[in-house]
Amino acid sequence: MGLDILFKIAGVGILVSVFHTALKQAGKEDMAHLCTLAGFTVVLLWVVQLLGKLFNTVQDVFKLF
Amino acid sequence: MLKLIGSLLVLLVSSYIGFKMASRCQERPRQLRQIITCVGSLRSHIIYSCLPLHEAIANSTNGIYGPIAEFFQQVANLLEKNASLTPQEIIKKVLSEMEGSLILKRPEIEVLYVLGGNLGVMNCKEQEKYLSLVIEQLERFENEATRLRDLNTKMYRYLGICGGLAIVIILL
Repeated sequence: MGLDILFKIAGVGILVSVFHTALKQAGKEDMAHLCTLAGFTVVLLWVVQLLGKLFNTVQDVFKLF
Repeated sequence: MLKLIGSLLVLLVSSYIGFKMASRCQERPRQLRQIITCVGSLRSHIIYSCLPLHEAIANSTNGIYGPIAEFFQQVANLLEKNASLTPQEIIKKVLSEMEGSLILKRPEIEVLYVLGGNLGVMNCKEQEKYLSLVIEQLERFENEATRLRDLNTKMYRYLGICGGLAIVIILL
């Protein structure tokens, strides 16, 4: 679990950058930006889930209810 | 193991789609060029050798292979067999039959359709003028298609492969 998500995020980052370059070369800047945004959103979804878990853990550890 | 096989399959299919799109992109200017050649030689056959339309069309595909030659051959065959159909109806019919193998977009199809409507209804001189006009139009489309090909071929390939990788990573 720990490193897995990091590698996934790195992979998405690399792919999104390739997408961006390919689309930009083809003169589709708008699609390139859309693509970047989509990649960002996907990564954000993963990160938000993890953050939620982190907050829950913190709450559990310090008994904050 | 199952995951690995699944992701490989996804990757293969998406790359295949990407390469297919790229080859379609490359094929279009080639087909347009062939149509231009055919129409050009059809013009010569009409004006200099004064052949009947179906023979002129059949002869115009000499030296050309592939779907475009097949299209013109079919038009010529139907013209010879069905005296009741006009060239326009025949072109429309053949175009709808060969929709899969001809990679043409709306403007070219419209030009071909109108060409059918104007074939054999004017005298030689007008016909020559009209066919020159058609060739000019088709050349414009070809230039545009070549430009699009140069831009898009690489993009489709990259997008195919990277799209597959992205799907695999997201689903993994």
